[in-house]
Amino acid sequence: MNQCYSCTTCKSADKPLQEFIAGLPMETSHHRVESQSTKCAFGLQGVCCRLCSNGPCRITPESPRGICGASADTIVVRNLLRAVASGSGCYIHVVENTALNVKNTAKTKGQIKGIGTLNRLAALFGIEEEDVHKRAEAVADAVLKDLYLPEYEKMALTEKLAYKPRYDKWKELGLLPGGAKSEVFHGVVKCSTNLNSDPVNMLLDCLKLGISTGIYGLVLTNLLNDVVLGEPEIRFAPVGLRVIDPDYINIMITGHQHSMFTFLQNRLTDQDVKEKARKAGAKGFKLVGCTCVGQDLQLRGAHYTEIFDGHAGNNYTSEAILATGGIDAVISEFNCTLPGIEPICDELKIKQICIDNVAKKANAQLKEFDFENRPAVTEEIIDEILEAYKARRGSVPMNLLKEHGNDATLTGVSETSLKNFLGGTWQPLIDLIVSGDIKGVAGVVGCSNLTAGGHDVLTVDLVKELIARDIIVLTAGCSSGGIENCGLMTKEAAKLAGPKLRAVCEKLGIPPVLNFGPCLAIGRLEIVATELAEALHVDLPELPLVLSAAQWLEEQALADGCYGLALGLPLHLGLPPFVTGSKTAVQVLTQDMKELTGGQVIINSDAKASADILEQIILEKRQGLHI
Amino acid sequence: MKRIIVEYEKCDGCKNCSAACMQAHRKTQGTIYDLDLTDPENESRNFILKDAKGQYKPLFCRHCDDPECVKSCMSGALYKDPESGHVLYDETRCGSCFMCVMNCPFGVLKPDTATKTKVIKCDFCADAGNEPSCVASCPKKAIYVEEV
Repeated sequence: MNQCYSCTTCKSADKPLQEFIAGLPMETSHHRVESQSTKCAFGLQGVCCRLCSNGPCRITPESPRGICGASADTIVVRNLLRAVASGSGCYIHVVENTALNVKNTAKTKGQIKGIGTLNRLAALFGIEEEDVHKRAEAVADAVLKDLYLPEYEKMALTEKLAYKPRYDKWKELGLLPGGAKSEVFHGVVKCSTNLNSDPVNMLLDCLKLGISTGIYGLVLTNLLNDVVLGEPEIRFAPVGLRVIDPDYINIMITGHQHSMFTFLQNRLTDQDVKEKARKAGAKGFKLVGCTCVGQDLQLRGAHYTEIFDGHAGNNYTSEAILATGGIDAVISEFNCTLPGIEPICDELKIKQICIDNVAKKANAQLKEFDFENRPAVTEEIIDEILEAYKARRGSVPMNLLKEHGNDATLTGVSETSLKNFLGGTWQPLIDLIVSGDIKGVAGVVGCSNLTAGGHDVLTVDLVKELIARDIIVLTAGCSSGGIENCGLMTKEAAKLAGPKLRAVCEKLGIPPVLNFGPCLAIGRLEIVATELAEALHVDLPELPLVLSAAQWLEEQALADGCYGLALGLPLHLGLPPFVTGSKTAVQVLTQDMKELTGGQVIINSDAKASADILEQIILEKRQGLHI
Repeated sequence: MKRIIVEYEKCDGCKNCSAACMQAHRKTQGTIYDLDLTDPENESRNFILKDAKGQYKPLFCRHCDDPECVKSCMSGALYKDPESGHVLYDETRCGSCFMCVMNCPFGVLKPDTATKTKVIKCDFCADAGNEPSCVASCPKKAIYVEEV
């Protein structure tokens, strides 16, 4: 029987998981929340500056300025811009690799699984190539060309991908981004020591980074992945720790770059590799989904039924997934691969392999993804994992949780699959919104953290509040992982919805929460929103649509959030993004933004109060549309 | 009586005690996130100084057994509460002579910055059930409450 390691684990919305973690004989992030509960007040408000050797400087009544003279406004917004630039860099890294993988796949006449998406992009970009591979290469090249432009040259695809009224607004505000990589460079230069001190000027840069992050890092990453990995198809699939089948050699995948796994994924189901597994005593290999790359595989799971076992959980479930003992290896390529998995991997003899050096884990063997040499590297990876399997099985105790999660979570929802589900047009959804059967739409997106009430606590409580008010919820990010493990994406969850939304769900056989998968799919939500706005001939801020990154965690989420604000959408956050020390930042983000882009930040950590605010905004927007 | 004990060797100067004190005694409602850190009205009742050797010296009211501030207070605004043993301050009786500031052996008392009419004085977080907020917020456990 397990002993209680410390009995001070934080709460989770997922009660079976909370209990499982509390009983583990090892430490996880959930155990460390309490010992990190004393937070630095200056850090929380964003008024600690350590940009020079005179620092750290902090703002108090006796010291309202840093030694250099920087005010609270300057310190706060400089810190914010740093975080947004860094977060943008992460997403731009992902889209760059994805575009390179599409290009290389096309050049080597590899499989193009998403011909529909390819044609859609080619048409948008004005590419007319007869040959499918040449067409895919030209699409990838167009994206890469934009990414590598200097900061003073505007990216060409922004106008082709953005909604016209939004594009015009951005142009008017001077927010059109130059080359996406150069914009990150520009951002980090701008907030370095004793350069920019103008908070509003820097906040505008945050918006500009939001646009390049959103259109390239989010929207295009999804679509490029669809080209080579296949388009999402709506289906119901198992989720939670139950997906781990100990009869197989199990590889947990973490990160955000699905296109890096294509070759390995296919290879693992080849007869000779399966034979290797059988000789080692297993039935074969399985990939177990964790974090956003798991969500991405789940989303496209219709194409990978043999190799993909299902999505086990989000970032803060990863330690528990490993603690089951059923995982033999972790292959990671990006965040959110927690450093906390390292001691657990050591203890349970789990092989860690990292395929992108930007996310090299201390314990992991670096086997960098190399398109040209991918057959050889893949064989090496397979052999390493086979060895780990043989060395650990039998000597490591199993602690499975077969009852965790559920067998029928909705997945595969995308801008295309949802529209097809509705009959190839958004009209049925628009009709439901107009009639009030669906009061509005809320995108509950972003990460999971452990401090907004606990693991997924605010997210899940907020979703329950929203659906009870007949507001349909769309999810993208680690929020999806928590919400699905709590059962809110099963058909049965319809009974938790308000009477009108419940009737809609039961008629259509869908849950009240639609699972768009990874955080990258925030880009898909934006496409849905844009197409709805187009159909109604209105601009995005007029839609009865709100966003919530209730449990945002990291810098990437802040870049996503800036995209939401640039789109003119109301954005709820459970915890402030370290800006409340600046009156100017608070004023601009929560008030003046309404005049600027139509967006606004709402900060509230209470699920009911947050839902009240979001519902009120939706009602006002409905009034504006006379519905 | 209860007293805040300071182990100054453990202090790393983070000032979380000061921020917690400001939050505990602010006049407006709100959380630590929206506490106005620039408003002199919110000034802290404890301080962290650094001595010539670079050692942090957290200054807290010691609620002395034989308080010099009380002895020097002509108006009776400062008094030793017989029940709790804490040195309390009645702002309405204060004549703003600041003899207490002159006489505090620890240098912790000071006139308020905004109006210079009253004394900034620790009340042991009486409103919070005599559980001092500064103690709760110290990540190094450099300050703690002990029955003396």
